[in-house]
This record gives sequence, C-alpha cells and structure tokens, in this order.
Amino acid sequence: MVITLWMLATIVFLLVNVLPGDVGRKVLGPTARAEDVARLNETLGTDRPLLQQYFTSIKNLVTLNFGDSYQSGTPVSDLVFPALGRSAKLALLAFVITIPISIAAGIFAARREGKVSDRVVVNAGLASSSIPEFVTASVLLAVFAVQLGWGKVYANVPDGTSFFGQLDYLLLPALAMVFSYFGYIARMSRSGVIASLQSDYARTATMKGLTSGQVMRRHVLRNAMAPTITVISVQVGYLFGGIIGVEKVFNYAGLGSTMLNAVGKKDIPVLQTSVLIVGVIYMVSTLLADLLIALLNPRIRLDAD
Amino acid sequence: MTAIDDTPESNDPVPAPDAAPDVDSREAAAAGRKAARHETLRLLMKRPAFIGGVLIVMIWVVCALFTNLIAPYNPLDYRTGLNMSPSWSHPFGTDKGGRDVLSRVIAGARDVLKIAPIAAMLGVLGGVILGLLMGYLRGAFDTVASRVVEAFLSLPVVLLALLAITTLGNSNWVVIGVVATLFTPVVARTVRSAVLAERELDYVTSARLRGESSLFVMYREILPNISGPIIVELTVRIGYAVFTVATLSFLGAGPPPPSPDWGAQVSDNYNSIVAGYWWSTFFPAAAIASLVIAVNLIADSIERVVKS
Amino acid sequence: MSDVLAEPGSLDERGDPATAALAVDGLELAYEVRGIPRAVLRGVSFQVRPGEAFGLVGESGCGKSTTAYAALRYLPENAVVQAGRVLAQGDDILQMSKSALRKFRIEQASMVYQDPVQALNPTSRIGHQVAECFTVLGESKSEAQASALAALRRVKIAAPESVMDRYPHQLSGGMLQRVVIAMALASDPQLLVLDEPTTGLDATVEAEVLDLVRDLREETGAAILLIAHNLGVIRSMCDRVGVMYAGRIIEEGSAQDVFDNPQHPYTMGLLNAIPRQGLRKTDRALFTIPGNLPGIGSDLPTCVYVDRCPIADDLCRTEVPPKVSVGTDRWTRCHHVERLSEIVEPEAVVTEYEIASDNVIELDGVSKTFRQRGHEVPALVSVDLGFHEGETLGLVGESGSGKSTLAKTLLGVHAPDEGGSVNLRGRPMQGKAGDRIQESIRAISMVFQNPDSALNRSWTVRRILRRTVTKLTSIRGEEADERVESLAEAMRLSQRHLDMRPKQLSGGLKQRVAIARAFAGDPDVVVCDEPTSALDVSVQAAILNLLANLQNDERTSYLFITHDIGVVRYLADRIAVMYLGRIMEIGATDVMFSEVNHPYTEALLSAVPSVDGEAENRIPLTGEIPSPANPPSGCVFHTRCHRAIAGLCEVTEPEMVELSPGHRIKCHLTVEQLSEPIEISPADVLAEIADLPD
Repeated sequence: MVITLWMLATIVFLLVNVLPGDVGRKVLGPTARAEDVARLNETLGTDRPLLQQYFTSIKNLVTLNFGDSYQSGTPVSDLVFPALGRSAKLALLAFVITIPISIAAGIFAARREGKVSDRVVVNAGLASSSIPEFVTASVLLAVFAVQLGWGKVYANVPDGTSFFGQLDYLLLPALAMVFSYFGYIARMSRSGVIASLQSDYARTATMKGLTSGQVMRRHVLRNAMAPTITVISVQVGYLFGGIIGVEKVFNYAGLGSTMLNAVGKKDIPVLQTSVLIVGVIYMVSTLLADLLIALLNPRIRLDAD
Repeated sequence: MTAIDDTPESNDPVPAPDAAPDVDSREAAAAGRKAARHETLRLLMKRPAFIGGVLIVMIWVVCALFTNLIAPYNPLDYRTGLNMSPSWSHPFGTDKGGRDVLSRVIAGARDVLKIAPIAAMLGVLGGVILGLLMGYLRGAFDTVASRVVEAFLSLPVVLLALLAITTLGNSNWVVIGVVATLFTPVVARTVRSAVLAERELDYVTSARLRGESSLFVMYREILPNISGPIIVELTVRIGYAVFTVATLSFLGAGPPPPSPDWGAQVSDNYNSIVAGYWWSTFFPAAAIASLVIAVNLIADSIERVVKS
Repeated sequence: MSDVLAEPGSLDERGDPATAALAVDGLELAYEVRGIPRAVLRGVSFQVRPGEAFGLVGESGCGKSTTAYAALRYLPENAVVQAGRVLAQGDDILQMSKSALRKFRIEQASMVYQDPVQALNPTSRIGHQVAECFTVLGESKSEAQASALAALRRVKIAAPESVMDRYPHQLSGGMLQRVVIAMALASDPQLLVLDEPTTGLDATVEAEVLDLVRDLREETGAAILLIAHNLGVIRSMCDRVGVMYAGRIIEEGSAQDVFDNPQHPYTMGLLNAIPRQGLRKTDRALFTIPGNLPGIGSDLPTCVYVDRCPIADDLCRTEVPPKVSVGTDRWTRCHHVERLSEIVEPEAVVTEYEIASDNVIELDGVSKTFRQRGHEVPALVSVDLGFHEGETLGLVGESGSGKSTLAKTLLGVHAPDEGGSVNLRGRPMQGKAGDRIQESIRAISMVFQNPDSALNRSWTVRRILRRTVTKLTSIRGEEADERVESLAEAMRLSQRHLDMRPKQLSGGLKQRVAIARAFAGDPDVVVCDEPTSALDVSVQAAILNLLANLQNDERTSYLFITHDIGVVRYLADRIAVMYLGRIMEIGATDVMFSEVNHPYTEALLSAVPSVDGEAENRIPLTGEIPSPANPPSGCVFHTRCHRAIAGLCEVTEPEMVELSPGHRIKCHLTVEQLSEPIEISPADVLAEIADLPD
C-alpha cells in the first residue's frame, strides 16, 4: 500500500509539474516584473531542477509538511483540512441516505427477479447513475431551491447552525450525490442477493423448513453483501470526482471547490495535497471494506494465517 | 440377429441455420457465423431499452452531422434579448449571452460525439493490450503493473483529467488522449480478470504444450473468448467518456467559450438559475443526461445478451 | 409369461398408496422455457413403502433428480406440473399450503444433497447450522445445541465438539456429507431423499458414507429414495430400483432381479456398457447405445427409447408400450419382451498382441515439490515408472495421490525436482515442455477430463485439428487438410462436424475431437486424464472402445488415469496404485486382481460398490486422507492401515518389493501376512478431522 501511495504522489507530481512556463509567472500574472517573478521562483524553489523538486516534494510529504499556498501564502493544511471536513460532512450525509435505500432496493428487486418491479428498480438505477452529478445538482437547484424555495442556493453552512438547520443547507447537494450512487449500489446488492438465493445453501435452508424471511435473514444476506461492500468503498473513493461539480453548483466551500480554485491558479502545493488526500481516502476505504468483508466471511479471515 | 456396432452418437442440437444441404460445409460454417451475428442483433432488437437507446443516440448523431441544416440560428450569435424564456421563436429560450439555446444544444452534440467514442476506443485498445499482458504473463510484470494500475484507480478520473488538461491544454486531442490514458487501467483490470479465468482452462495448457508462443496464445486462443466482456466494456466506456467529457467542460477544462459544448453551457448559465432563468441550464443538462442514459441502456442490453 | 397391467391405478399393486412413505402417481412435469413447455417427466409412477430403500437410476436428463426434488416440492419457478400427484402418508404434497409444506419438510421428509460443500452456508458455523434443524422443531437454543452434538455423534464423527465450531471450508467433503446427513435425520423423518450423495467423493470415503446411511436406515426404519447414476451404488443400497429414461420409468423391480436379469433393451444396454464382472478388453468390446440421449422437451410420443433400440419396429413407433409384468413384483415397458434375447454381444476388440518389453517412456526417481504459502508440498515422491510400447498403464488413486501431478510432469507442464528425469526412449527430456525439442513434444499428448475446458470454444473443430497437425509435424497445406479429414474419420466424426464449434457438439463428440487432437501428431504416449468421468455411461463405452481400437491400430501407449476400478480393469494391461505421491503397488491387471495386494489397494478394491452384488468384505479405513503437505512418517499409509506393524510401519518407509515377476508393492509385510483376512466391523470406525488436502 505504501508503494501505491508513493506511486500516487509521483503521478500527481508529474501531472502538476509538466508545466509549460514557470510558476512564478503564472502566480504573479503576465504584467509582473521579471525580477519579482525570479524572486518568487527562488522563494518557492521552483527554479531548481525538476528531480530535486521531486525529492523535496516527497520528503515534505513524508514529514507531513504540506507547505504554503502559492496563492495566499497561508499554510496548505489550514486551507485543505477544514475544506475536507466540510466535504466529508456532505459525503457522510449522502452515504447515510444512499446506503440503506440502495441496499433495500437491491434486496427488493432481487426477491422479485424478472418481474416488472425488478426491471423498474434496475432501469431507474441505470438512468440515475448515468447522469453526471453536476447535472442532477443543477436540476435540483432549479426545481427545489429556486422554484419551490426548499433548501438553499448557497450551501455554505454558517457557524453555529443547529443540526436540522444544517440539513436545510446540505440536503439538496447530498441528494445530487445520492442519485448517482443509488444505481451502482442497488444493482450490486441485487445481483449479490440473487446469486445467494440461487445457491445450494439457500436451498438447504428452505428444505429445512425455514420461512423465506428466515432464509433471507439468516443465510442469504450475510453471503450476499461482500460485493456490495466493495462497490460502496469504491464509490467513496470516486466521491471526490463527483463532488467537485456539486460543490461548484451550490457554491459549497468543500475540498472540491478548493481543488478547482487551485487548478485555476496553478497553486501546486494545495493541489498536490488535496489530490493526495483523495487518494488516501480511497485506499483507506478499500482497506476498511476488505476488513469488513473478512469479518463477514470467515473463510477469508481464517485463511490468513 | 441384431448387432450393436460402435457408431458414435448422432448429431448436434444446433444445425448451421443458413446452409443448404449440398453446400460445402466450410461455407456453411461461414454462414453459421454470420447467422450468429444476426441472431445477436435480433435478440438485441427485441429489447425496448436497446431500441430506445439507439434512437436517442441516432438523434444526437444527426444533430452533430447536420447542425447547420437543423439549427434554426447560429449558435454563436447574439440574437435578440438576453435570457428570454422559451417561446415559439426560441423553443428553448435564449441564454445570458442572447444566443438561442436550441441551436446551441444541437451544436453541442458535435464535440461530445467526436471526443467520447474515440477516447473510449483508444482506452479499450490500451486496456486490452495491458490486461492481456498482465493476466497472461503474470510474474513480476503483473505485480508492478498492478501497483501502477491500483495507483491510477485510486483517484477519480475526473480529477486526474482535470489536472492533466489544465497543464496540457484543452484541445480535443488532449482531452481524448487524457481520457483514453485514464481509461486504460480501468479496462485493463476487467480484461485481466477475464484472462485469468481463461488461463486456467485446459485448452490454454494444450496450446502451451504444443509449443505455441505467448503471443499466439494471448491473441489467437484467449482473446476471441473474451470478446464478449470487451464489447460490453467498450460500450460502458463510451458512456463514461460522455459523462467525463461533460463534467470536464463543466469544470472549465473543456473546449473554450463561446463553444456550444453542453457542459460549458451549464457552467456558464447555472448562476442564472437563482434569478429564475432555468432554461439555459436545463436543456443542455437534459441533453447530457439523455445521451449518457441512452449509451448506458445500449451497454446494459448488450451485456445481457452477451451473458445469455 | 407377460401380463399387460392396467395403467395408473397400477400403483395399487404394491400396496395402498395412502400408506406409502412416498407415492408418485402419474407425475407429468415440464419446464417452461421462453413460454414453451419442455417435458421432463412423462407420467412417473412408483411407491416407496415404509422402511424400503428405492433407487432411481438413469443417465443425465432422465428426470431422476427432478423426481427427487418433486418429492419435497422444491421445483424451480418455471416448472409446471401438468398432471399427477405426489402422496406422502396419503397427503398430496403438490396441493399443500405453504405452511403445511414447511411442516412436511420439517417433520416428515429430509434431503441429502449431491455437493455437501455447496450445500452448507459458508459463513455460518457447523454447530449453528445443525442446531437450526432442532430449533425449527421447537427446541430452545441450549436444547438444540445438545441435540446437534448428539446428532453429530450419531453420524460417527469422532470429535463432534470440534466440528461444531468449524466452518464448512475447514472440513472435507466426506465429513461435510456426514453433517448433512445428521441434519437430515434431526427430525427422524419417515422419508429420506438422497440425490447423488456420493458423487464427487473418493471411493473410500464414499464407501463409508454409504455404510453410514445403511446403518442409520436400520436404526431409524426410514424409507429411502436414492438417486444415482452409479449402478453399483444403487445395487449396494437399495431393495428396489426403477430405471428411468427420458422422463419415464421403463423398468422396475428388485435391485437384484433388475441388475442380474434386465428385461428392457435400455437396461440391458446400460449394464453391458459398463465393464463389470472382471471384463477385460481382450474379452469383448463394450456395448454401446447408438444415438444421443434425448434432451429435455424432446417429442417422444410413443416408446421413449425407440430411436436407439436395437429391436424396435413399427409397433414401437405408433404405440406407447404398456407395463408388462415379467416376474413377481417386476414390470417393464416394452412391446417385445420376448425378443430381448436377440440382442447380441459385439466382437472382441483386441486380440493378443505383443507388448514390447522396452520402455518407451521412463520416469526415473521423479519427485515434484510445490511451494504453497510457505509450506513445501511433496506431490510426487521418488516415482519410478516405465511404459512399454503399445501398453495401457492404468493409474489409480484418490485425492492427493499425485496422479494428476504425475501426468503433468510427464507432459512437461511441471519440471521434476532436481535428481529425477523423464526419459523418452532412453534419453532424458527437458523438464518443461517449452524447453523440449519438437520430437519430444510430439511424442506425448493428452486427453483432458473436461472437453468443455479442453477445446477452444471459439475455434472450429477443423481449425483445432489442423493447427495441432501443422504445429507438431512438418505436414502443411493440402496434406494437412487430408490428415485432418482422416483423423476425423478415424474418430467417426462426420465432415459436418469439422466445421462446427465445440458448443454445438455433445459431450461424447467433443471428447472424440479431443482424442483426435491427441492423435494428430502421431504420438507415442497419450495421457488420458479421466477422459470418461464427465460422460454418461453409454457414451463412455463408445469412447473406451475407440481408445482400444486406436491403440490396436497405432500401437500407442496410454497412461490411463481414472478412479473407476471397473474401467481400469477393462482397459489397462498394467495398473499402478498411488497414495500421497508414491506408487504403492504396480502389476499386470490379472495379477493385481488375483494375487494379494497392498493394504491400500485391498481397501480401495473393497470400497467399490459393485453392480453385481458380490458380497464384499468391506475394509473401512480410519480417518481421512492426510494432506500431502503433512505426510505421516515412515510408510505414509500407516495411519489408516489395518495391517500396520507397530514399531515398523510408522518408522521406516518401505522399499518396493517384488512379489512375483512384474508385481511390486511398497510394503513391509510378507505375502503370508497379507493373505490373512481382516476382522473389522465398519461400525467401530469413526471419522476424524484431518488437515485438508490442498
């Protein structure tokens, strides 16, 4: 995993540094004086050879020194971590809503496989997960926030708002994300349950004389959930791709907006750190997913000796 | 007296459908393959999802090809008022720059339909090659490549593409190249698992025991058997490509204004929603949604037919 | 003489159906596929009287499994019962309410399944799953736990507490099947249905499971419905048997009568297709049944067997044959019972010919050790083996014996460990096939067990064969095409078959293609790895005949790997028995079956259930097959051997000793010691957990 992290950092560094033109110029703009640009480059260290910059960058990361923003000079950690917190709140809300609904819909569809209600769930999921998050966000904004007056257009939550007050701000953007993830999770849950229902052990359970509810609860669900858990963990990782669009539409000052700004201003330290955080979050979530699966499936658990 | 002799079992459940009895059996085989393709197409045509998807895609293709003929106004031109609501002369209204939204929506199909399919195909090509090598050769190459693939996969495509495009510029070919490169690891992973499964089958062992080269085994033995999943993956990737390209242009990494690209239109106009001007955002957004859904419906239908 | 019996209602001559443990009456069942019903059962009627063991036997697709599941009304969504009843103690199961059905399944009937590994929940402990059978009866949690423990003891599991704590993947197939049986007997059911309960288990394990079922049946007095395709299993377990073909029972009677004196052309064909009663290839060819097994939903309005029957005539094509009584409590469905004697034996395949005495292939001290997760697994240990030209060497062994590894090392899939070599005509070959010269590659080929996996499904048959020819020989162009066509002809494949893809062919045809491919390069040795295990009996016979014929013509040697003792006795000139990577015994076939054997061979031979009902002195083996990763000390068989000599067998590994010219065993005992009979009662033997073979 460390190796993967290192590769990630390298990829990010490469991406960000294959820049035509120099950083100092980009930051100060085309009208700045040459000496000022040169001095800025010296301060920032961007006039040194690339390889040296790379090693410095890696060293800094390892020591958790995230540097300062090119744009504002404030430490990157002061910018990025609070933004991360805000995005996390939004994401958490989205997942808290999505996961139970999607899994339940998947189970519902699986039990009615082949029937109309099943096809409705599958196709609805297909459609909703096809739509980019920013599209859903725009539509929700237009329909609910503007026309109907529910929720807020600018989602930034003022300090000190009550829990339910916060919901008023966060619900619409969270819903935009829910739409996207519902499809994948519901479909994975559905196929897991179908496979489990068709298994021999489900047959054994039925033949023992258990009711279909007992079969489902005691035997099917536990075995059906592994692929769904994996999908959920992957969605957590890809979250940050979609959240950028939503944050832009709702003007939410989360990590996505921060990254977007940094991209525009070529603020490399901010960018690098943000992207790395996203990568780390993905890895952590897959790790947690693996742990959870091992917990549920003793074969994986016990073989690891 | 009746004797039992050692005649093998008679015949096969599925005779070659289009062959006349006196035709050379090799022609019958070729006819059989053609018939199999027709069969697949026939099964697809039975699915309303597939037909619906194809229809919608066709509409947009027509829009892209014949923009100048269909669009009522010049998409780049200021016409009458700013932000006029939909009316008979402007069915989709006008946007904040006074341009006819309907024309812009029609014109917007062009870029997306140029970029997305090519990016997807290149990505699948790269992914198939990489996936074959990883899955068949295994060993050190697979271990290293898997780590690299994992690293790429831990970041959302949109994010990486955003970074890359901002540094490399946003011409069409850059977008195609970046998206294709980012799709390669994803496709490689799917192809790799399919190859791993095939590799265990005895016909591969048999080929290797014959002394066939690795290239032969990968390309001629294994590849034909995984073509189903690859085709499904291709159609799914096209859907993702449309999705990604639209998102990128929304985030500012698409073709520069005043290009009528759909994502850019949403990006330009979403601020107007607050003021009540919803149409300039809604219609391009709906266009994006319709195209992605249509492609995904096609992909889903193909997947179901291939699986059966 | 024959009396024609009345149709439905003829159920009654065995007794009042209302008192039967199970009475199936005129059951007609179809599966609906895309709206079209495809017939599976065409009027099945039989009774299982209380306490009786009834067997349903037949090949794939005959409907026996469907009947078994119908007995508990576990049918797929698309199954449609078109007519008939299924009575259990007088109540029609098919008409019961859901709750009555549940009650029936809990209290009155239970099932034992074909694949015990899949039949248990992988994420739930054994104890919990067994206890569930008791909570469903109304017991409390703690009562159920105690009952579960007792149930496991009842199926002769040695350390039930330990088994209760484990998960299914930690136990072997044989142990899991005992657990399933324990679960089935929880409620002391009146009817126990067993669907192919021992298919997939090793012979020694199978024998123990069957013994267990027999004992428990005596204890509980339950009626048994046993489904199997293995006639020996049916004979050894059942009082009465019904032979099924294409969804109909075509003959029924006591197991002894039906198997000793079949009264239907199909039953005769089936029994004659199996090599039994010590049949050798030099005696005669095997009976084959021409044609294919009919698929589900075939249109068979009259006699279901008419397309393949040697004595069929116009009457058979126009009228359904009635049930004809052919003895006490016996009947058959045939118009021409009196003409059964017309069916004739085929000619012998092989007349005596000289098997050369030189070795065409030699394995010299070949060992193969795998590294798995840090352990060393010796799959082959110091194997010395030679093949003469033109002979068939049979290789027999159970899981973990190393027979597959031996085949693969011979072929060059694996290279042997340092110090051992595989020699072709005296010259050592490179370990891995990739390093070998063309000549060596051409000389050894293989026929795999599963033709679906062995043939590239995207290639046509022609291409498969042609590529093999051009790759292994220097034949090209038109000559190659001609060779392909002559290969096809030799395998009795028609020209049409050449342009088809594997999935359009039946199992037997696919295997013929695989054999054609194996012979394409004109090999000296063909390794046959269980080539007929996946095929139906009637098809198997044709393939075995083909292999024997080819050997006769081409003088190829075969390494024939199988678990089927009857088949190996039929086909092989010499037989080698393997256990945990070592050859325990080798000798000419006749000698192996007449002289004394290695204790393992002895147990193995006694474990095979015979369709001829020979009274076997079953020698049960304690414990399970040890894992190759953890072989016992000294003689690896000593842990399960009833003849082991304390102080000797667990200390020193025996050398290969020659008992008579050509007959060698790896054992410390003398001929005298081996000749003594063994007194062991199967009831004393308990099943212990061993580490699983990898």
